[in-house]
Amino acid sequence: MKTVEILDGGLATTIQDLGRPNYQAEGIPVSGAVDNMAQRLANVLVDNEENAATLEFCMLGPKIRFYCTTFIAITGGESCPTLDGQQIFLNRVYRVETGSILMFKPLTSGRYGYVAVANGGFFTKPILNSRSTTVRLRLGGLKGRVLQRGDRLPLNECFKMPSYQFREFSTEKMLKNKKDVEIRVVKGPQWNNFTAVAQERFRENLYVISQQADRMGYRLSGTRLPVPDNNMLSEGTILGNIQITRDGLPIVLLTDRQTTGGYPVIATVVLADLRKLVQLDNKHQLRFKVVSFKEATAAFLAQRTELKKFKIFLNKQRYRYPIGPARKTAQKIEQLLVSKS
Amino acid sequence: MVYEYRFVPVGEQALNVVFEATINAEENRLIHSLAHTLLKSIGKDGGITGIIPAYHTLTVNFDIFQTNYAELTKQITSIIEKHSFLENEGKKHVIEIPVCYDEEFGPDLDAVSKYGKTTFDELIRTHTEEPYLIYMMGFMPGFAYMGSVPSKIAMPRLRNPRAKVPAGSVAIAGKQTGMYPVEAPGGWRLIGRTPVKLYDYNHPEPRYFAGDYIRFKAISKKDFYYIQKLDLDGEYQLNELDQGEFF
Repeated sequence: MKTVEILDGGLATTIQDLGRPNYQAEGIPVSGAVDNMAQRLANVLVDNEENAATLEFCMLGPKIRFYCTTFIAITGGESCPTLDGQQIFLNRVYRVETGSILMFKPLTSGRYGYVAVANGGFFTKPILNSRSTTVRLRLGGLKGRVLQRGDRLPLNECFKMPSYQFREFSTEKMLKNKKDVEIRVVKGPQWNNFTAVAQERFRENLYVISQQADRMGYRLSGTRLPVPDNNMLSEGTILGNIQITRDGLPIVLLTDRQTTGGYPVIATVVLADLRKLVQLDNKHQLRFKVVSFKEATAAFLAQRTELKKFKIFLNKQRYRYPIGPARKTAQKIEQLLVSKS
Repeated sequence: MVYEYRFVPVGEQALNVVFEATINAEENRLIHSLAHTLLKSIGKDGGITGIIPAYHTLTVNFDIFQTNYAELTKQITSIIEKHSFLENEGKKHVIEIPVCYDEEFGPDLDAVSKYGKTTFDELIRTHTEEPYLIYMMGFMPGFAYMGSVPSKIAMPRLRNPRAKVPAGSVAIAGKQTGMYPVEAPGGWRLIGRTPVKLYDYNHPEPRYFAGDYIRFKAISKKDFYYIQKLDLDGEYQLNELDQGEFF
């Protein structure tokens, strides 16, 4: 099997897929990509299953050398990637060759970025049906840790990419100037344990993501809420749960969260807005808007449908000119045609 | 046995089945039976993507592309009403965990025995007497929330948690007892340590499950190191006790 070499690990680069949801009853966290829409998109762009293992990086991406021909796509935060010194775009597929070097600048917008490689992703050893890394448990990924200089990651080489020219996805631009960001939520299981004052304040507060923000969860800072005084029994947690801790401030639970928790959950971030939240920097303030489960579900279905439509579109382009490097001969013919016209 | 329950939506793809908010072994065993039955009768094919049983709740994650809140609550209601999930109630697994109750491993042994006005021996006998039900797993892989500890020795947790609790520590927090599978910060009262590996990142599946029972067995320091070595070599198997002894 071919490999890529990590020349520089970046800040906190790990292998992630969509996680291991089936072991939560045993206390094992789900893990997986924090911005799972970005990870799905990266995989779709290189014609993978959405669950294929990608590289997730945080704030500063890694420097990588390829030892084979393949195709890559970068998604997530604005990471200014360069391939052999040439600037390349996000959300688009590129061909890389043996010796190619991919590197990044510190993120200018967003927090997490993803690198997908064609032909199945990175083939580190799966554990409990997933390749995701949970660093605090030394579980999964490559030796259960963040990647460092000298690491080699296995992958399949790849010479053809169907509908190559069409593998570009235009996403909404990351927020640049807008001051407040609205994050939709649904009422949580303990919403009614909070006083009307607390509920009101929760809706009106402007919060900022604090320094304590990682794959387990983001602590927010802002005005404190009055906390219900009765102790509750611990319950199972889900992605996006907003717990209110004893100091009256929220924590949004993310992918590495503990499977159970004993703080009251006032609300849950709607799945369609999670990526907006996880990629939000601390220069912007956010406000929660309570919506119905119906609206939340519709938004989620719409987001997934968009990706599905893109997949269908790509499939339809397979035999449209220009065919691209789908077949080597086709590529040669294409070059001849281009040079003649 | 009729239990009150209700459904609470938690997210677009998750709901809680909520029973009465109490720590009650019978109610909790019902939740574990329900969990097993849902996985067996609805399962992945029916759109269930993950479940988390806890003290009085069962969190059910589902795939909105396969099922939905209305459909699932209808299915779960019918299963509960039929009581068919009680069939799983049969066998109780009682797993023996060796523990060395020594002051080196249990820095709170002295405090707990003073709290309970007992000698060390009495305290150890009290803690090892009955099997404890694992109400739920959480906090970290293999961390079992167990109960109930006899009131006499049910000392509340520390006011200021320790920054580091060594892996294998056996502890008490009020009527709960538990074991730390990996080193972590923690506020429970430490009374001993098991030589058995409770979390192994190469084989992360725990050696016991929510709904099982754990019975602690006091061992000497010499046995502690002996079992630890056997276990590291992969040659130690946890004892499963005959349930007839206890129930």
